[in-house]
Amino acid sequence: MPHVIIDGHIYEFEGKPGLLQFCLDHGIELPHFCYHPSMSVPANCRQCLVDVGAPVRDRASGEIQTHEDGNPVIRYFPKLQTSCSHVIADGQVVHTARTSKKVARAQQDTLEFLLINHPLDCPICDQAGHCPLQIQAYKYGPEGSRFEFQKVHKPKKVKLGPRVVLDAERCINCTRCTRFTDEISKSHQLTIIERSVKNYPITPPGVTFDEPYSMNVIDLCPVGALTSADFRFQARIWELASAPSIAPANAKGSNCYLWTRDNLVLRITPRHNPNVNEYWLPDEDRLVYHRFNANRPLGPQVRGAGGTLCEATWDDAFRAAADVLAKAGERTVFIASAFATVEDNWLLLQLAQSLGAEIAGYIEHIEPGHGDGWLRTDDRTPNSEGCRRLGLMPVDAVVLRARLAAGAIGALYVLEDDPIAAGLCSVEDLGDVPVVLHYYNTTNETLHAAQVVLPAAMVAETIGTFVNEDGHAQRVVPAKAIRDTNRTLMMQMGLSRADRHGTPFDRWHNEAHYVNCKPSWELLPEVARRLGVDLQHGGPRRIMRKISEKLPAFEGATYEVMGLQGVLLPERVAEEAPENA
Amino acid sequence: MTKAGDWQSYQRVLLPPVRNLHHLDAYRAQGGYDILRTIFNDWKPEDVTQCVKKSGLRGRGGAGFPTGLKWSFMPPANPAVPRFLCCNADESEPGTFKDRQLMEFNPHLIFEGILIACFAMSMKACYLYVRGEFSSWITLLERELACAYDANLVGTGMLGTNVNMDIILHKGAGAYICGEETSLMESLEGKRAYPRIKPPFPAQQGIWGYPTTINNVETLACVPLILDRGADWFAGVGAQTHPGPILYGISGHVNRPGVYEYPTGMLITDLLEIAGSMRGGKKLKALVPGGASVPVLRADMIEGVTMDVESLRAAGSMMGTAGMLFLDEDTDMVAFLRRVARFYHHESCGQCTPCREGTGWMENLITRIDDGEGNLRDLDLLLDLCDQMEGRTVCALADAAAWPVRNTIKRFRNDFEKRCRPAVWAGVA
Ligand SMILES: Cc1cc2nc3c(=O)[nH]c(=O)nc-3n(C[C@H](O)[C@H](O)[C@H](O)COP(=O)(O)O)c2cc1C
Ligand code: SF4
Ligand code: SF4
Ligand code: FES
Repeated sequence: MPHVIIDGHIYEFEGKPGLLQFCLDHGIELPHFCYHPSMSVPANCRQCLVDVGAPVRDRASGEIQTHEDGNPVIRYFPKLQTSCSHVIADGQVVHTARTSKKVARAQQDTLEFLLINHPLDCPICDQAGHCPLQIQAYKYGPEGSRFEFQKVHKPKKVKLGPRVVLDAERCINCTRCTRFTDEISKSHQLTIIERSVKNYPITPPGVTFDEPYSMNVIDLCPVGALTSADFRFQARIWELASAPSIAPANAKGSNCYLWTRDNLVLRITPRHNPNVNEYWLPDEDRLVYHRFNANRPLGPQVRGAGGTLCEATWDDAFRAAADVLAKAGERTVFIASAFATVEDNWLLLQLAQSLGAEIAGYIEHIEPGHGDGWLRTDDRTPNSEGCRRLGLMPVDAVVLRARLAAGAIGALYVLEDDPIAAGLCSVEDLGDVPVVLHYYNTTNETLHAAQVVLPAAMVAETIGTFVNEDGHAQRVVPAKAIRDTNRTLMMQMGLSRADRHGTPFDRWHNEAHYVNCKPSWELLPEVARRLGVDLQHGGPRRIMRKISEKLPAFEGATYEVMGLQGVLLPERVAEEAPENA
Repeated sequence: MTKAGDWQSYQRVLLPPVRNLHHLDAYRAQGGYDILRTIFNDWKPEDVTQCVKKSGLRGRGGAGFPTGLKWSFMPPANPAVPRFLCCNADESEPGTFKDRQLMEFNPHLIFEGILIACFAMSMKACYLYVRGEFSSWITLLERELACAYDANLVGTGMLGTNVNMDIILHKGAGAYICGEETSLMESLEGKRAYPRIKPPFPAQQGIWGYPTTINNVETLACVPLILDRGADWFAGVGAQTHPGPILYGISGHVNRPGVYEYPTGMLITDLLEIAGSMRGGKKLKALVPGGASVPVLRADMIEGVTMDVESLRAAGSMMGTAGMLFLDEDTDMVAFLRRVARFYHHESCGQCTPCREGTGWMENLITRIDDGEGNLRDLDLLLDLCDQMEGRTVCALADAAAWPVRNTIKRFRNDFEKRCRPAVWAGVA
């Protein structure tokens, strides 16, 4: 097999790999800025320079010439090569900064150049702490600077669009942002203007940088030149903890990180998954985090004699919910949720079955024309495919209203949704029919009509599985803690994040950021228990194992297999009905 | 010695002394476009390339690359894949003003050269990329090109054959970097003129990603002469390794600056004489032999040096574009270098870190020295910056910016040291 020698170590390779990517894939660190694996290679930052040599072949015979000791004669390229643009060939010898003084010096020189006109305002820069320029300057850069002149001044605080702010002085002109808009999103909303050291990216005249993927350039920018209008100056990066999750704003299930500090989600960034979203995340998936923090319920409530919702203990609330169900019996209608996990919907099915009641289906949230064939979909929920694979269909509003009008419904049990806001029925339609509601936010309009309301954990707080519209099953882990002590959730949180959430002994610890809610996989068994039904399951991991064993549509979707990258489920047979629905 | 010794009897061929030669009629009256017809009827494309190879023609755009060899890099013609010629008329190297002379006085020679080159490489179109500031010559080229189209010398079914060729005139917007071949292509495609990394070379992926050959105006203007008079004639003019007629653009402190056509390999001292010697009887101090980017030569370094690649390399400089700048004894070399550095700072496309940052820093340092506030250590820093820029960028502009700095400081170090603040102040005890 062809081989390449990098810093004295032999590596085998196949095909025609690019040198920089090959090194990164093999754990060899090479400083770089402009290179990005999914975009064109302009080789403009000149940071990734390496020394490359090739074996000398005899002109006549084509044989590789050797020294007396049998080693091949190596002829080095006259200039250092940019590893990002260099394609490896058999027998080549590569020296990085670790084994070549020349390379080390070149990389140091480039960093000196990059820093002379850089404002060096790390103390107030959002990028500080995870800044490639900062990291590489420490590792490979010179000590101090020989530059004794006024730095070049460029526009600062430029609002490129509603979501992205530019500080042109920090820009190192890597053109990653403009290449993104040219090659990936194809909006062509950014371009570099001016020449030489005055260069910076900006929108063309009359254009606003408002494309639905604009915030990706913030992640791409290797410095703090492009910042999020929303997250700017909100937190230092070392105060944040991140948890791998799934973006809930559409049915694509883009992989993301939720970044938290003091138990509030402060931003959402993309997580690489070659099978789903590659490196990208639409803006809509990033800006949903406010929902996790704001307008969260204070605790369970039950509608009292006076007709108002009154605070209740969890125990009272469960009992009240159980009463409602016991009274309505098989005339209860359950409504599943495309916002809830597969596990939660499954438990709802079990509860309905035990009562001999019916599940009307899940509420669809379709926004026609919203999808773009890429990472945004018409469907604004993360798990409708998961519901369909459980055999659940969209609720037929006409039928539901007719049955309500005919008095055929004894109670409505709604899982993590808002039927009134969704237009499924109105308060008048509901009349006296008691409603039990699992809900996320106090803005939920069905609260006005509900008898018992149970605050449910959101995607940022729970454990569970979502299936995206392509049949990709992916799991989430909690990024923030709930008020309750729940061992299963805590186990998945990871220790380091508990530090960041603080303990009551920390001065900045804020108890109000711990929402008094429970995951539906805890709420449903509690209600069931009070009806004398046993839904004990041993946690979402076991539920999912059971589902994957029982339902062919979920074959193989265990937590172990899904890992952090998910798994593609078998093709769904359209009219498949689960055996125990 | 070179064969340019008989330059006194040299007959001009690129810019012959013919009245109104820029008109099609006058050009044709001189036998213009005859060789094109002959070639179309009787030649095979490979033979044309072979002839150019044999002539020894080297590119006149600055790099001096053998033209026939460049043409032979084109992949085999495939009717399904378009391929382009590009004529580089973006002339903007300081001290270079020869191409515009051809555009003004002999545009049809350029067109004919373009068409022959297109024939040699089986191309159907040539982009003629003209620097935007050359507006009056653009008007002239447009008019004459229209005449050539009307006379069926270009276009569909040209010269009564079934061959179709087009020449597309394209105006640049006036940036030096657009003269670099790959950034010219970017600019032509409507993008920002950032040079591309090579490989892939233009012959593999050029304009719109298709195989492309790019040549300078003067290079292409030599082609009809070679085909008309024969490769041997061309190879016999001027220096052996760098033959042919060439346009010397002479400027600076001489009595008669201007564009002079002579064979290559002329003695620099002869050319100075031709240009009327130094103004005011002053002594020569320095010479930049080939446009601002080539290393400057001190007056004592030009004895016996001739204008061809080898002799100039031996003398420590380069042929470049043969735009010769003579500087007299009163010249302030610091101010000269300051101006040169300012140019490259202004014109760097700003893509590569070393060039973008280095050119500006260099100008800062030289300006400080020129203002009398420089330090001796600044000179070493400048030389260091040259090391940090050379050979580490996408295109050769960074090299072109570093060479003058390195060589002017090296060859006129005294002039610079005198202007710097002393390292130790006298009288401070
Ligand atoms: C910064 C830079 C500027 C250049 N400007 C010009 C120019 O204005 N005109 C030109 O003919 N060649 C210019 N060149 C050279 C071209 O890249 C290219 O080598 C030339 O057009 C090839 O033509 P030739 O082989 O006929 O010489 C420039 C090169 C560099 C690096
Ligand atoms: S703004 Fe950032 S991404 Fe864009 S060119 Fe500058 S450094 Fe690169
Ligand atoms: S060397 Fe200078 S001019 Fe050439 S591509 Fe790089 S930055 Fe642009
Ligand atoms: S990564 Fe920027 S030049 Fe290679």
